[in-house]
Amino acid sequence: MKISIPQAAPHVRNPGRVPSLMTTVLIALSPITLFAVYQFGWPALNLIGLCLLSALLFEILCLYSTGKPLDTYILDGSGMLTALLLALSLPPHAPWWIAICGSGFAIIVGKHVYGGIGQNPFNPAMLARVALLLSFPVEMTHWTQAAPLLSTAAPSFIEGLQITFQSSTAFDGLTAATTLGQLKTDLSQGLPLQQLTEQYFQPLDSSLGLTAGSLGETSSLLIAIGGLYLLRQRIFSWRLPTSFLGSLLLLSTTAWILAPEIYASPLFHLTSGGVMLAAFFIVTDPVTSPCTRRGQLLFGTGCGALTFVIRTWGGYPEGVAFAVLLMNAMTPLIDHYVRPRRYGRSRTGTPIKRPLWRRIREFFYTQPKSPSSGSDK
Amino acid sequence: MKLFGFRGGVHPEALKQHTADHPISTLPLPAALYLPLQQHVGEPAEPEVSPGDYVYKGQLLARSQGQISAPVHAPSSGTVVAIDEFPAPHPSGLPVKTVILETDGKDHWSPAWTTPTDPWSLRPEEIAREVGLAGVVGMGGATFPSAVKLGQSLQYPIHNLIINGSECEPYLSCDDRLMRERAPQLIDGIRLTAHALQAKQATVAIEDNKPEAFAAMSAAAKGINQLNVIRVPSRYPMGWDKQLIRIITGREVPVGARSASIGVCVHNVGTVYAIQQALCAGTPLLSRVITVAGGAIAKPQNLEVPVGTLVSEVIKYCGGLNEEPARLVMGGPMMGQIVPHTGVPLVKGSSGVLALTAREVDDGPERPCIRCRRCVEACPVGLMPVEMAARLRADDIDGAVDYGVQDCIGCSCCSYVCPAKIPLVQYFNYARGVLDCRQTATRKAQQTREMALARQQRLASQQAARDARKAAKTEDKAKNNTKNNIKNTRPASKNPDRPASGDDAGTQHKGAAANIIATDSRVTDIPLQSEQLS
Amino acid sequence: MIPSYRQIIADGLWHNNVVFAQLLALCPLLAVTSTATNGLGMGLASTVVLTGSNLLVSSFRRWLIPEVRIPVFILIISTLVTLVDLVMNAWIHELHKVLGLFIPLIVTNCAILGRAEAFASRQPVLPAIADGLMMGAGMTMALVLLGACREILGSGTLFAQAGLLLGGSFSVMELVLWQDYSGVLLMLLPPGGFLVMGFLIAGKRLVERSASRSRQALSAKTIDPTIDN
Repeated sequence: MKISIPQAAPHVRNPGRVPSLMTTVLIALSPITLFAVYQFGWPALNLIGLCLLSALLFEILCLYSTGKPLDTYILDGSGMLTALLLALSLPPHAPWWIAICGSGFAIIVGKHVYGGIGQNPFNPAMLARVALLLSFPVEMTHWTQAAPLLSTAAPSFIEGLQITFQSSTAFDGLTAATTLGQLKTDLSQGLPLQQLTEQYFQPLDSSLGLTAGSLGETSSLLIAIGGLYLLRQRIFSWRLPTSFLGSLLLLSTTAWILAPEIYASPLFHLTSGGVMLAAFFIVTDPVTSPCTRRGQLLFGTGCGALTFVIRTWGGYPEGVAFAVLLMNAMTPLIDHYVRPRRYGRSRTGTPIKRPLWRRIREFFYTQPKSPSSGSDK
Repeated sequence: MKLFGFRGGVHPEALKQHTADHPISTLPLPAALYLPLQQHVGEPAEPEVSPGDYVYKGQLLARSQGQISAPVHAPSSGTVVAIDEFPAPHPSGLPVKTVILETDGKDHWSPAWTTPTDPWSLRPEEIAREVGLAGVVGMGGATFPSAVKLGQSLQYPIHNLIINGSECEPYLSCDDRLMRERAPQLIDGIRLTAHALQAKQATVAIEDNKPEAFAAMSAAAKGINQLNVIRVPSRYPMGWDKQLIRIITGREVPVGARSASIGVCVHNVGTVYAIQQALCAGTPLLSRVITVAGGAIAKPQNLEVPVGTLVSEVIKYCGGLNEEPARLVMGGPMMGQIVPHTGVPLVKGSSGVLALTAREVDDGPERPCIRCRRCVEACPVGLMPVEMAARLRADDIDGAVDYGVQDCIGCSCCSYVCPAKIPLVQYFNYARGVLDCRQTATRKAQQTREMALARQQRLASQQAARDARKAAKTEDKAKNNTKNNIKNTRPASKNPDRPASGDDAGTQHKGAAANIIATDSRVTDIPLQSEQLS
Repeated sequence: MIPSYRQIIADGLWHNNVVFAQLLALCPLLAVTSTATNGLGMGLASTVVLTGSNLLVSSFRRWLIPEVRIPVFILIISTLVTLVDLVMNAWIHELHKVLGLFIPLIVTNCAILGRAEAFASRQPVLPAIADGLMMGAGMTMALVLLGACREILGSGTLFAQAGLLLGGSFSVMELVLWQDYSGVLLMLLPPGGFLVMGFLIAGKRLVERSASRSRQALSAKTIDPTIDN
């Protein structure tokens, strides 16, 4: 006879696990990662490798110093995911120390200072990106023209190493501005917008990813494919990306219709910069976004609106990261006030009222003679 | 028929195919039966027999006592060996008072036993009484005495009687088999129950993964007015009575109110079968159909077993265990309780015995929550398990109450979907335990205060009476004096005020008592555990 | 009960450090500590005010009516702050230009009012002066440490412009740690202040924990209950 320890129901579990969730997200990120490597060549590969490796080391360091079991946490994939997202938001020719500082900041300050996985109020990748942008504005806004791997313009393996590790200017890469940066500069010089956008904004190139920009932010199309895969796998609900893109689309369309000579077109907003990557991989981060359906809609809408506001009237050309961080800070508030309605209660938590006709009927109802239940003869 | 929306819920793998296609077989009579005196919600039954007595099949062993209780009958003839403490089918395995019956294998019915008169001529309250005498309780696992439920529902006009044939728990198929094999009896039972409730119509809800049961019930119900057999989507927890009410009527039961208050009453098919047996065949609740399943069981099947059979007997009949089970569960895998060992008896509410292998349990190490909100999506009540668990982990019970932990029905959906394998239900059960303790403490304090107040009031009224008597005396004296001296009336006329002021004090006390009653009613507004279970 | 001077020193510098234990004076702290020199200047100015206010409050404590004590404290502190402000403006004008805005804000520095309320108004003059000095020293230490960390990380120098504060002969203190260091701008911005302070507090607690652990180990070894904890 075996005596077992009491355990609460359920006695069967869904096969889903945290590491497999993370793996799914990593799979969804793989097309854009591969494309980044293809498009920006060896330096991109160096950066991604550096980010992943250093994130792993920082993770081990933090887990060791907090006395958490290494084997459970190191393989859950969340650190890898953070590092990959960070790498994808870096400029292709960023030096090695940017990658290491960034993943150190993301893992230590962004994640473990708050208590590790699941406890961080801010998205670690975005936090690191903003920290890097504020700290090293020059390096973080040094964009290069895409030069596909194995093409003549592409840096060789050695040159790639030089670019990443020596910040060398030996390789004469074509410097290029991102479309967003260009727009900001030109607008500040008072040039008319329509003529400009025709010059450097080709919607097709922008959605395919044949433009300058961060490693993983150029190809809106591939990001959307990865995102739709995650949506199919039910990793996140449609509400977050839809409300984010929706509110950005709505605001930019309104502004564009009202004054097309000052405000960029909605297509421009959607396909340039980090909007797509954020919509499917940053805004949807479960740890830092609200739990409820209405809360998610609110959160996504807020992110979209802030992105538009910062891009249009802010000091920085790109506003996605700031918008996401600002809304991350709102998440606990949203989760406190926006809750689902509970069964049998109104939204305010009071018991719902029975329909009037039933109460009237009850008033006229005479109960059959009360039975003497429970007594035995 | 149009169905209304379903909120939350999960899709566990059904795993019913191993048992659902085999007919119900009957377990040979075991040599000994162990009948706990409490197999239901409420007061335990009071034993009517003493050790050494010979009892017939169907004879009353223990009488129900109190408002909410149910009697226990002898499932077979034999000798009462002892009335003693015996391990209960509960995770703790703590002993409860149990009648131990040694069967003689003859299955003798009591000589006094007669077939009942025409059940259709009984009045509603008589049906409820008969059901109560037969010891019928909710067979879906709630084990709330059915007679009490029928009686309570009679206080309201009942519009719709819903028969819960959804059987949403994985593995279990006993209700499925019951509907396939005994549909005519079930239909009779439904009609009798509807009659007992004076219900206008009855609806049988069957999950759409049981087409055979649906066909059998539809065929049996053909031609009967106001009896619908409908298919509902297969989704756990479809069998939660309030969920069924919502999906069928589109209405929700207000918190703290009974389902009957919105004109609906829900009974399980097993209960309806037991009611039919009690009324038409005159058989008290002596046996029930259970599902014996799980990866560790050699020959999983549905069995009709006498109440009080040991789990070990059942497993032995089903070919024993293939391997050491990781968990031995009584009931379904989602809401069933773990039993400590096989030496515990099956009771009226046991719907199954599951011997689950470690692979089936699939219980990984607990990881930190990543707020994936699957629990929020899965909760059929509309709670936020992620937030409640975060508060309970910090022992912030009030914070969890703010998020509605007292509304949790313990359906385990959140724990089931959790990718971090956090035992959320365990947290919430703990919180509800603490809340229950608090409630009891508040009640006790309230009672003490009330008693103290009553004493004060009593003393005050005694004092008042004494004063009144004194005043009357003085008045008498004064009256006597008036004859002599009219000037003396003044103090005397002032005196009768005193009893009045005493009365004033009395009303004040009454007012305070009324206040206390009012606060007490606020306390009792918290839904009772039994109501949630029913 | 008058605490011993040893205790006052230990409290001021470590156990009850204004910045790292009481978490007071954060506003000027985070605003001015972008360099170690600024931190030093702010710390010294605060120390002067703190010592002065402790001295005055302690001397007047017998005549203070509890109901109006706070306005009196504020009056004393603001007088001192005005003095310090004018003195700095007169003699170390360059530094005053840098710290200018924050010197008047010392008035609202909770640390000073806190010491007046919690210590000086209840203790004799000499311990009060000692407390003011030690609390000020502890605060100065924290500010310099914080400023140094931020300065090293943020601009790669240490004690830049120390000559302004302490006179030309102290210019030797001005170190440039890395030539052509582009600097981590974030560290010079307010978030950098919070970050560095957070890590410094964590470091202090780490030291305390390991100290208490080793003390426990020691007391367990010697089984001597008289060890002063």
